[in-house]
Amino acid sequence: MKPQFGVAERFHAAAVLLFLVAPILVAMIVAFSSGNRLDFPPPGLSLRWFGVALGNELFIDGLLVSLVLAAASAVLATIAGTGAALAINHHRFRGRSLVQAAVMLPIAMPTIVLGLGLLFTLSIYDMQPGLLPTILGHAVLGLPYVVAMVTAALASYDTSLERASLNLGAGPARTFLRVTLPLIGNGVVAGGVSAFMISLDNISLSLFISKGDTLPLRLMQQLQSYADPSVAAIATVVVGLSAAGFLLSLAWGARRRRLVEPAPPGAAAGRPPAESKEATA
Amino acid sequence: MRSRALVPWLWLLPAGCLLVPFFVLPLAVTFRNSFWRDDDSGVAVPAFTFANYARVLGDPYYLQVFGNTLWIALLIAALALAIAFPFAWLLARLTGRAQALVFWVVYLPLYVSVVMRAFGWIVILADSGVVNQALLAMGLIRQPIRILFEVEGMVIGMLHRYLPLMIVPLVTALRKLDPSLLRASANLGAGHWYTWRRVVVPAALPGIVAGTQLVFSGVLSDYVTPSLMGASGYQLVAPAIYYEAATNSAWALAGAMATLTLALVSLLLVVANALLRRFAPWAATL
Repeated sequence: MKPQFGVAERFHAAAVLLFLVAPILVAMIVAFSSGNRLDFPPPGLSLRWFGVALGNELFIDGLLVSLVLAAASAVLATIAGTGAALAINHHRFRGRSLVQAAVMLPIAMPTIVLGLGLLFTLSIYDMQPGLLPTILGHAVLGLPYVVAMVTAALASYDTSLERASLNLGAGPARTFLRVTLPLIGNGVVAGGVSAFMISLDNISLSLFISKGDTLPLRLMQQLQSYADPSVAAIATVVVGLSAAGFLLSLAWGARRRRLVEPAPPGAAAGRPPAESKEATA
Repeated sequence: MRSRALVPWLWLLPAGCLLVPFFVLPLAVTFRNSFWRDDDSGVAVPAFTFANYARVLGDPYYLQVFGNTLWIALLIAALALAIAFPFAWLLARLTGRAQALVFWVVYLPLYVSVVMRAFGWIVILADSGVVNQALLAMGLIRQPIRILFEVEGMVIGMLHRYLPLMIVPLVTALRKLDPSLLRASANLGAGHWYTWRRVVVPAALPGIVAGTQLVFSGVLSDYVTPSLMGASGYQLVAPAIYYEAATNSAWALAGAMATLTLALVSLLLVVANALLRRFAPWAATL
């Protein structure tokens, strides 16, 4: 039976899609404005606001800080999350369901509360607000997304391959690197990408434990004090960078799929973050 | 055999090293500090007092902040559900390229900086923005209507931010619905609405619950949207917590507000799952 879509249903869907895309499209167009203000449609097109944005040291510093922060926290989240997903899915142990709930909890907890709590806790570790605590905090936020996506990849994973490898004399480390990791690679990459994006866009946590020097914080300050199209321009640059990264991860995923057939269905690289509910629901 | 039992815990070690000191402990410390006392010099000193809670729950200002936040969270969750449900139902039945494309658009906002999304809405909703220009040109209004920096503008911004978080779990739940159930229902004489009520909605329940939880915890910790698009006279809890902590140095008070926020989110989690287990045991997640 081919699904049928009513007129009202199509109209509603089109309206929702327009609503989702509109502000992003408008912001991108204003980034190319030649005018001085936030007029839409812009009086003309130019790249002047990209020049202004790329010449703004606060933005460039912020972008570098944010990229380092996102990369470092994504690596931490990926290592910790992959390990946790393997433990939960491949082993039966006491307290397993509790552990499972605990690693997913950072998604459900309000980030602003964790931010305040981390600030309280930093003095216990003799730390000051700055890059290191922000990396660790963001890694906590990324962790559940990695767990969810690696879990999805593990759903189609055959543990007998692992046993075969061990029986054939490969050590546990070799088995993990040559058998397990290639098979769940797509899920690991997708989780890492999600953790990266979560960190790149975070404000509620950085607000408390960074030095206020991440790009989203700087953009927010700029928008609150003086809104000009340079904010949209630098944000458009970031969108371009993430699009490039996303395409790279897709290409990587495609290469993996050719190497490892059949492809795990739930583990397409670049699965966006919110998909994680699939694993928790 | 004993060493084998340690293997899962070894795999869990990195996650534990991250979660215990940087997730569990901060929440515990927040709870502890919420009973401390704010010194006049701007530090929280160890004590055991319910004064912070008494102040938050007794002062009309703070009650208003929590009331506003709960109302906005409920409103956004209800609006998002009403808008997302028919959309998710369509998306779940789409196939192939069309489905991939629509999914891509749904995920798009999640990949774009929240500040940029707010920027776009500012351009659209401002007094001289797209909406007002269009309405003025059509002669429907004489004066620009104020949407931005009002509750309305903030609600639009938040709805945009959290709608994908409602759509995705709903689609995930609805995709698990076996289409033959719909045929069976129709063959057995059930009308369109009856099938919806007895087949589609029950199948969507896990998605509804998951989406509502995501939207709730999102609104409760949203600092950006109220700050960039909201009305200064309409405080929400996330900016208020930051204000008490960073500007007022009322750390213990901020701790009490944070603990109450945490309690609200946990309460929702528990209640939602209890309701699910009672009325829809097939959908219970906890």
